[in-house]
Amino acid sequence: MWGFMVEIVILLPFAMGLLAFFVPQSIGRMLLIITGAAHLALSVGIWIRRPAAFLDTYFAVTAEGLLSLLVISLLFFLIAIYTRGYLKEQQIPSEPVFTGSMLLFLATMTMVTLADHIMVMWIAIEATTLASAPLIYTYRSAASIEATWKYVLICSVGIALALLGSVLLALSMDLGGVDVPMSFSALAGAAQRMDPLWLKTGFVFILVGYGTKMGLAPMHTWLPDAHSEAPSPASALLSGVLLNCAYLGIFKTHKIMHAAGLGDFSGTILIVFGLASIIAAATFILKQTEYKRLLAYSSIENMGIIAFGTGVGGLGAYGAVLCLVHHSLIKSSLFLSSGNILLGYADRFIVGTGRLAKLMPRTFVAFFGGFAGISGFPPFGIFFGEVFIIIAAFRAHHYVGVVLFIMSICVIFAGFANHVMRISFGASGGSVQFQEKAAMVWPQYALLLTSLALCFWMPDTVSQTIMNAVQTIGGGF
Amino acid sequence: MIQSLDTILVLVLLSVLFSFGSSRLPALIKVLAFQGVVVSIVPFFIGHELTTGGIAFTIVTLLIRGFGIPLYIYLAIKKVAIGREVEPIVGYHASLLAGLALIVGAIFVSPKFNLPLVQDHALLLPTAIVLIVAGMFLLMARRNAIAMVLGYIMMENGIYLIGTSFSVRAQHIVEFGILLDVLAGVMIMAIVLQNIKKTFDDVDTALLRTLKE
Repeated sequence: MWGFMVEIVILLPFAMGLLAFFVPQSIGRMLLIITGAAHLALSVGIWIRRPAAFLDTYFAVTAEGLLSLLVISLLFFLIAIYTRGYLKEQQIPSEPVFTGSMLLFLATMTMVTLADHIMVMWIAIEATTLASAPLIYTYRSAASIEATWKYVLICSVGIALALLGSVLLALSMDLGGVDVPMSFSALAGAAQRMDPLWLKTGFVFILVGYGTKMGLAPMHTWLPDAHSEAPSPASALLSGVLLNCAYLGIFKTHKIMHAAGLGDFSGTILIVFGLASIIAAATFILKQTEYKRLLAYSSIENMGIIAFGTGVGGLGAYGAVLCLVHHSLIKSSLFLSSGNILLGYADRFIVGTGRLAKLMPRTFVAFFGGFAGISGFPPFGIFFGEVFIIIAAFRAHHYVGVVLFIMSICVIFAGFANHVMRISFGASGGSVQFQEKAAMVWPQYALLLTSLALCFWMPDTVSQTIMNAVQTIGGGF
Repeated sequence: MIQSLDTILVLVLLSVLFSFGSSRLPALIKVLAFQGVVVSIVPFFIGHELTTGGIAFTIVTLLIRGFGIPLYIYLAIKKVAIGREVEPIVGYHASLLAGLALIVGAIFVSPKFNLPLVQDHALLLPTAIVLIVAGMFLLMARRNAIAMVLGYIMMENGIYLIGTSFSVRAQHIVEFGILLDVLAGVMIMAIVLQNIKKTFDDVDTALLRTLKE
């Protein structure tokens, strides 16, 4: 049975997703939760047993893939519980399309985490775009069709560049006379013989391509639109795990570059794109008027931090992976809370909210806790991640970079705090028509508590897996 | 055989120029269909060993790239805006000039890459580069959403041409997956197009400007 485990965990949500298009609403909602639970159980099983894939040319269980898989699984399960409550409160047109797409989206993201072949990775990442496009168009409004159009077009064109990059990697294999399967794990062993010029060119295209999907500036323009127009559970998935999937593509290519002795080249490019993203987020976050766009820009900031840390390497790479895990947990909880706020105030603008602490106390605790976590307050994990990255950047003598990094983070914190204070304690005209049901606040608490727990007590197997992942790109203590 | 491949590649280059100067969508779709056919049959010309699987895959590619995708777009937009102008941001004459410069530039730089596989076919690499850049140009220089989708397909054709001519490690199951993704992507774009038309009563992307900072 374990022989097919890797394939089953991909096919299960896929089959359930197809089924969800044809079943009544109430069954579809339960299907989300049941599939989420089964997927989580399978992922934990894969984590413990580390089975080999049946189609081992195309799929493999790797340390970085396992981390992402477990995060995706946990997040999806909790988001599914929230979604059931959300769909009871909020009528959406053609709900079966929504639930079906959520499950297909899960299947494609699972495929990304387990893909080992360069082209299969590309297929999986493009498939995530296609599966998530209907989620953004859920509300059928003029703004949502605009967001969907931008998302599909910009991401498809971006990812087409990544395909070009993957083709160039194949070319660099041919020129170097490397005759191994075109998988990330096989290539890491043979990277030294690949043609360096085309390898570098390929990496640049792949970074620009997957970087578009990851939300790195200046290719991030689709991200705030898509995140703000999608229903909140979908936004939580997009921000919490989709961005990680794109990062995984970049991470694995960076691994090949590192094995080929070109880690400095790819690291420098990652640092530049990372800083550009953080600075872009700092510029735009100050004047945001909508709270979901605010969260979206914070995601761009965090992806920038992660790219920066990965580029710096050493301790920074470890910090980047810490940030990756904690950003997923905290940001998805923030987006779920923003769903409650939207249901309560029926207004997407920050000026339309206020006195959240008084009107919706349970959501306020989750929202404010999430804000504290995402801005890098100790003891949340993002704080440790950022400190590690800053130390590593100083050690590697990136003084200009680290100064820009710290200044931008301060600006973002100030802007974010200003808006959050306005939402939490500012004046509010109206009252709130929303019952804070347990199913719509506990998932957020669970996500935040998981993040908090990981800071105080990280199981050995988790820290060991993170170490195994970052060692392949020259990271670690 | 060498001459015949280069001859049809010249036609592809000319078709790019034609698409830059054309204002009508049906003409653009026909150009794309032609390019799709040519890039699909290139493997027959460049002396890759053709297995049964390879021939079957080439035919499937031909059917999807050369006929399926253009026909799908044509039918999907027939009710929407067929025959309309493409609403250029960069004018037709300037586009033509840019196209000429692009072709000359691509032919000029291609030999400098020194790729061993293509020395018999002088026009393969230039054509691929021209298709990719021309696709991007259409994406940026046309406001009509349909023309932008066509630009994306043109770019995708160029990437396929590079993949099929410069890499010997063809794994048909993987390439088929890529083709399926592209097809599904085009279908979703067509659905979005129809909804844009329904919501805004036009496919001019200048209308899609409400979401910004």
